Parts: sequence; C-alpha cells; structure tokens
Amino acid sequence: MSRVKLSEYRAKKILLGDSYAGLSIRPEGDDVMPTSGTWVAKVDQGVKKRFKQGLIVVDKPAAELAASVESWKGRGFTQFILEPFFPHSPQEEQYFSMERVREGIRVLHAKDGGVDIEAHPEMVKQYLIASTTDISMIASTSQIPQAFLERCLEMFDKNFFAFLEINPLVIKNGEVHLLDAAVLVDDAGAFFTDTWNNADLVESKLKHPAEAQVEALAATTPASLKLSIINPDGALFFLLSGGGGSIVIADEAQLLGAGALIGNYGEYSGGPTRQETYLYAKEVLGVMLASKAKKKALIIAGGIANFTDMKSTFSGIIDALREVAPDMRAAGIKVFVRRGGPNETVGLAIMREFLTKENLLGAVDGSDAIITKAVDDAITFVRV
Amino acid sequence: MNIIEEIRKGKTGILIAGNHEKIIQSILDFDFLSGKSEPSIVGIVSGNRKVQKFFFGPREILLPCFKSFESVPDVYTERVSWLLNLQSGRRVFDSTVVFFKIFPHALGAHLFAENVPERHATELIRLFDKEKLIAGPSGVGMIVPGSLKLGAIGGTDPAQLTASHLGTTGSVAIVSTSGGMTNELIRAVASAGKRLSFSISIGGDRFPVTSLTDVLLLAESDPSTSAIVYFGELGGSDEYEIVELVKSKRLTKPVLAYIAGIIDEAFDEHMQFGHAKALVARQDESARAKRDALREVGVDAPETFPQFLERIHALSQADFHDRVFDIGALMERHKSILSTRNIIDLEEVPIYVENGKLTDRPRNAFAAAALEALLDREASETTTAFVEAIFELLIDHGGNVSGAVNTMITARAGRDMVSSLASGLLTIGPRFGGAINEAARAWIRGVSSGDSAATFVEARAKEGVLLSGIGHRKYRVGIPDPRVEALAQFTTLLKKHPHYDFARAVEQVTTSKNGSLILNVDGIVASVLLDILVEVDGFSPAELQELLDIEFFNALFVIPRTVGFIAHFMEQKRNDEGLFRLPDELLFVRDSGKEKKHRK
Repeated sequence: MSRVKLSEYRAKKILLGDSYAGLSIRPEGDDVMPTSGTWVAKVDQGVKKRFKQGLIVVDKPAAELAASVESWKGRGFTQFILEPFFPHSPQEEQYFSMERVREGIRVLHAKDGGVDIEAHPEMVKQYLIASTTDISMIASTSQIPQAFLERCLEMFDKNFFAFLEINPLVIKNGEVHLLDAAVLVDDAGAFFTDTWNNADLVESKLKHPAEAQVEALAATTPASLKLSIINPDGALFFLLSGGGGSIVIADEAQLLGAGALIGNYGEYSGGPTRQETYLYAKEVLGVMLASKAKKKALIIAGGIANFTDMKSTFSGIIDALREVAPDMRAAGIKVFVRRGGPNETVGLAIMREFLTKENLLGAVDGSDAIITKAVDDAITFVRV
Repeated sequence: MNIIEEIRKGKTGILIAGNHEKIIQSILDFDFLSGKSEPSIVGIVSGNRKVQKFFFGPREILLPCFKSFESVPDVYTERVSWLLNLQSGRRVFDSTVVFFKIFPHALGAHLFAENVPERHATELIRLFDKEKLIAGPSGVGMIVPGSLKLGAIGGTDPAQLTASHLGTTGSVAIVSTSGGMTNELIRAVASAGKRLSFSISIGGDRFPVTSLTDVLLLAESDPSTSAIVYFGELGGSDEYEIVELVKSKRLTKPVLAYIAGIIDEAFDEHMQFGHAKALVARQDESARAKRDALREVGVDAPETFPQFLERIHALSQADFHDRVFDIGALMERHKSILSTRNIIDLEEVPIYVENGKLTDRPRNAFAAAALEALLDREASETTTAFVEAIFELLIDHGGNVSGAVNTMITARAGRDMVSSLASGLLTIGPRFGGAINEAARAWIRGVSSGDSAATFVEARAKEGVLLSGIGHRKYRVGIPDPRVEALAQFTTLLKKHPHYDFARAVEQVTTSKNGSLILNVDGIVASVLLDILVEVDGFSPAELQELLDIEFFNALFVIPRTVGFIAHFMEQKRNDEGLFRLPDELLFVRDSGKEKKHRK
C-alpha cells in the first residue's frame, strides 16, 4: 500500500548477494565485531543526512568500531552497518537511481561525482526501462556495466522494489561498488517475497506506543486503520474516516490557522467491525486524555461512507468513550461529530443519545451538514 | 462509441469475483430502483457455493455462483461486460488477467482491493490500459446513473442511492482518487440541484490502471457531460496530467478541482496519509504546487473545501426529470432462514373419484405391493386406489413443517441423506404427521361406544386430550382443505361409512366452537380407510384393533413423506446451503426468572 524503507544492509545483501562483505549489528543479534582491516560504520535506520549528524565514520581500524557504535547507542540508535573501507576519490563518485513509474522503470544517472542532483538536474541523464531490451542502450550510453544493470533490474522486480538509489556509485576496473544504497520497497509485495520482511523495514522516526498498537491491529483486519501522533499535547484529536475525507478535515484546521493544535492524524475506513473500531478509538482517546493542553475537543468526522456501517462503527466508538467518559468530563472535553453513510440515522441517534447522557455533547451532524462542520465547531470551542 | 454511452445503451452485465454481500446487494438495489427487469449481476465467482441468496426488490433471488471464470457456462458469456473484482490484493492480478482472457470482449473492471503491489498494477497497465476501462486498484468503482453501478460507489444503503438521485442522468462528471470523497461529492452535486453524468473513482494507489487522463478524455467525449468535478490529494503528479490536457486543448469542458493536503505544511517532515500515493516525494507534489499549476491554466481550484462546494452551484446542468426511486419496497424485507423448492403442487389436487366411479388414473403397482407387504394380504382395488391417493397427496406439504425443517437443518450441517432423513422422520409424532393412528383409534372408539359426537367431544375435552384428526393451522370453515375434499369422495364408493360420518359429526361440534377445528388429512385418511377396510376388504373389529396396535396407519404418512424429506434434503445439497444458525431476532431469550440475591 505504501513505499517503505528497507535497511541498507538488507538492500545491499539483496543487490549483491554473497559477494557483499558488510555486517549488520542489531539489538537482538549476537554480533561479532571484526578484528582486522579498516571499516566504515553507519547507523542503518533510514536516517537522512547521516554525515552531517555524525552517524557515519569512515576509514576506522577494527578496534575503534565498538566505540562509535556505543556512542550511537547512547543517542538511542539500535541498528548499524559495518563495511570494509573502500578508498576512492570524490571524482569517481557517480549517482544512480531506479524508480517504478507508470510506463516502466525510470533510471537516473549522473557521471560526475559528488553532485547534489536536486541542485543540478541538468547533469542528470534520464532513461526508461520499458522492456529488458532497453538495458543494452543504457549500458552503452552510461558506461555502467550491463551485467550490473541486469542484476539491478532483476532484483528490483523480483523483490518488489519501488525505488533504489545508489549515491555514491563507484566503478573501478569494470567493478561496481555501492558505497551507499537506499531502497524503498512496496509493502504490498511482502506476501510475494521472502528475501525481506517486516524486520528489515526501518523507520527514521520513533513510534508512539499508540501508533504501534494501531499498526498491530491493522495487520489483523482487511479494514484500513491508521494513526500518527503529531503533537502529544495537542488540543484537537481526531477519529476520522476515509483517506480523502480525513485530509479535507485536517486541511480545514490548517486553513483556519489551527494546524498547531492538531494532536493526531489518522483514519479508519473499509468497514471495520465494532470491535476493531473500539480498539482503534481507545488508542486515540488515551493519547487525548494524556495531552496537557488546557482545552481539548474530540472530532469524530468523515465523508459520506460508501459501505462502512455507521451503526457498528459508532457503537465501537461509544464502547471506547464509555470507559473514559468520567475522565473526559473532568477534563472538560466535548465531542463534535459529522458523518454520513449506511445506517446514518441510527448511528447519529445512538451517538447523540450517549453524548447527551454523558454530558460530552458538542454537536452531532449528518450528511446534510458540510463535511468540515465538526472541525469548525471544535476549533471555535477550544479557542473560546 | 464512448464507453459511457455503451453502458447507457445496456452493456451492463457484471461478473463478480470474490464476495462482499453489502456491495453486491447495493448493486441489485440500484438495478431494481432503476427499473430493470433483471439484475445486472450475471453471477459470482467465489469459493465453494453454487448459489447465493440476495434480494431483487422485495423478493429473494438466487444468484448463481461459479468455481472459476473457466467454469462459467456459455449461456452467460454473452451478457458479461464487466468484472467487479472484490478479491484481496494478493489475488487481483491473476484473476483479472484470467478474466480478460476468458471474456475478451468485456469492457472493463473495478479492482476493489487496496494492497495490490505496484508491480502488478503497472503490469495491468501494460496489458489493458488502452483497451479496457479499469477503475482501481482501490477506490469504490464507477457509476452511470440508472445504468451501471460497479462497486460500492454511491453508497450501499438504498436511502443513499435515493438521496443522491442515482437514477437520473445529469451533466456533471465526478472523478476522484478517494473513494469516500467520491461519494461525498456525488451527494454534494445532488444537493446543489445538479445531477451526475457518470463518476469514476480511480483509486488512491500510485498506479491506477485507467489513468486520470483517460477518464477526463471520457468525460470530454461523453455527450451528456458538460462539467467535471475533480477531487485530488497531495502526492503523485496526476494533476499535471490535467494541466497538460487543458494546455493542449484536448480537455475543453470546465473543470472544478479541490486538491487536499494543505495540512502537510503543518508538519516538519512530509507525512504518509491514508492513500498509498498521498505522500509528497518532490516539491511539485504538494497540494499547493498542484493547485497553483491548475489555476495557471484556468482550472477553478478553490482554496477551501466550503468554497469548492459553493462553486458546484455555478456548474451548468441540462434540464432533467428525476426518476423517483421508491425504496418503500426495500425497507421491510426480511431474509429467509431456509430455502427449498415447492416439491409438489397442492393447488391442483387430482380427482380420484367421479360420478361414483374411480377415475381413470395411472395405476401404480407400488401401492398394491406396499399394502400387501404391510397387511400380509392382497388389498382390494378400492383400498389400493385410496392408499395410492394418500401416497401422492402426502409426499410433501411444503418446507415449513417441522419434519422438513429438521431435514433441511441436518442437511445444512453437512450430514448425509440417511442422517438428514432420519432427523426428519424422528420428528413425526402426535403433533406432526403421526396422528393417523390416533385418529383411527378415536373414530373406532367413537363408533363402537354409540355415544353422540357431542358427548364424545365433551369427554375428550374433560380428559384434556388433543382430538387427533381435527384442526388445521391454515385451513378453516370456508377455506376447505382440497385434499380432504378429494379423499372424502371415496365414501361415494361405499354403501355405509360410519367412521366417516362420525368424524364429520365431530367436526360439526368442534367447528361450532372454532372454525379452524376442521377435519384434517389425518382424520379423513383414518375414517375413510376404516370404512373401506370394513366394507370392501372385510376387516373385523379385532383385525382393525390389531392394525392400530401395530401402528399400520402411521406408515401411510411415513412412506410418502420419506420421499418429500429426501427431496428437501437434495434441494439443500443442490444449492449448497451452508450451516444453519437461527438469527438472533428470531430467538427470544427469556430471563431465568430467578431473582439474583445480593449479599448485604
């Protein structure tokens, strides 16, 4: 469904196979540190701009590696990669990338070393691989060894890669060296491949426990459940439904200048059951109650559903609300609702009845109100 | 011809792969409300069932199910124009390719699943994007008002279909990446007094098979469409396709667009939103950049969603007459819990006797042989004809009766024929089917006692016992049971019929209290057969008593009804009915009645 980052170690292992001499250091592994030679050590967690942040060391004797790794561990990092140091000059560095596009696979290549390709698009040559016969042309124009291109294409397809970037790429004596490689895989391909799995995916940002809970829950249902905690001390917390509708509603908050008040983004859609909706809502409510904002509001909103049942999803949300209703009352939280779809009348009625009884009612609206009404009302409420 | 026009002209047959009951039912509701005489759904390719029950309007229908696309019989092939692929993301690619191989003339498909790998989507694009109209992967499909609903689009609740006026062809085309927003916009257009020409949800995946460009060109060439409403999001570069089309004048109809995702500006890092494509990878993929690019070529791309909705009012719309969807017929429908065939037609009971003579009916040696086996002597022609009539009439009395219900439930639990039959037969007893013997006992007792019918009834009432052979749930005075009347004609073959007369006298007494306490089949069979056995076959009172003791009379029900039960069993197997479970609303769970004691 999304493009996700593979660890550099796994990416190179797939691309180079047994000839790859790098080592991976992970928290759960019994890793053996090398005892001889000179090495490069890097944090392998999908972090961008590692050089600037001091997360790469180069040309280090084996004996000094442990100290670097320990210092990174002190900064909270857990996954590292060690590679034999390969001496080369900056002039030898090339840029190479492959990306799946509608028409095939787009290849970008820059021969002149060390360029910032975003700053110098004119130095980048673009090719398209629509069929395997395109490779020989690319090889002869770019002077990248054909065998390497073929290997990249084969691995790209077979392993459900979506994006591959090698920067820098060094070609010496007809041999290709991947000094730095980044791969995004298509996570929908996980079922079809056994060369990588969830343990090989890296995230640059640490997950909030609620996000991890929702992710685990989402893995067990065909419905779509997503949660990102944006500001744990936010004032506006969302139970949104629908991929598009949820953005429209969040947009409205941003356009009204309330972007900084948003506590979370997320959505449930695709017909989750009452129980699944309950478990999802519980996570959002937990984060909301923990927020230190003075005045808070819960927004239950979304477009007019095609098939997600309002009675069962609202029943699930009410199940979760009931557990924390006294805490919400104590915190002065009000709930604002706008939603339409199958079983709309019943869904709205049970929600209104519950919120009224529990003294949590902000407003309850259905498909005859505009999709942004609940968020508008909630922003007015928290700003007063 | 424009493919939307082909749909309006009737190319609407849908083959479904996978299962999603609500979506399938919503398509049938749409068809019914649109005034179609038969469903657009040709059948369902799904697992191991043979048919599946749905509603078409107020009544239940069975949609045929097939194991695979290959096994769809030829008779259906011609009607298949569309694939609604509801299978999981893992299976979508293979099944779609197979579908178009077997139905090369089909016009297109909707691929419902999220999680279709990018590699599969781009391969589908390579294979089909020029020839077929394929909505998805992901999204909610496409709709052409009054003609085709391919997917969840427009809603799954009949009330939603009505509120959005999806029976009326209008002038506004809606295109969206987001399924939920497609529906939101369909309603917004209807609320603004406009009507839909068609809508396609291309899906929020990175690589929709039919591209935004293709859909916009369809709208451009569709004679009904005069304006296009578009909903897009941050991420991807689809909106630049619109820019190119407008610039090159291939798209000349007015476009109103909302590009969502301004919220991304509130975060330090670009965020992955709900749809796979909704992540800004390059600066030109931001919502703001795309809005600006659209505005530059003259596309109306308002800043806020409320403004966007406001602008819908300004779109042009040709005159239309709303087709009124009458959803009343759809509201009060209840799913049946069992289904079976009408095994025999009781509306036309044969005439056995006419003008004091047996009519000329085909003779069945089975009845004669069965009687000889049971009685250990050859029976008279009259007795044989009577028993044959009983066998014919008692084969079945519909699927409602307890024995048939038990047979069907057992069959649906996966049991074999003999087990299912036994379960039905074991239900036969004093309240169901097993009353012929008891009725015979009653008539013998009544006749031999010399008491009047009134006294007889009074005595039974005092004892508090049920009168066997009397009473019916369905028939009453004024609505006679046709079987009883047909069998009563046999008495015209006799000189005397005391048991029958007594039974009728009892009926006189009981119906004066309650019109439904009429002589029933058990009662007539017992009384007439007793009279025939006495007069024609010369049975003595002692011999009749022996027949009672050995339950001869009940055999006359068990033998034919065995056939009926087996027929109901076979119906369940034939239609592959799944395990039965009584729906909650049909089961009353009583409180235990005990008061819970609380400790003080």
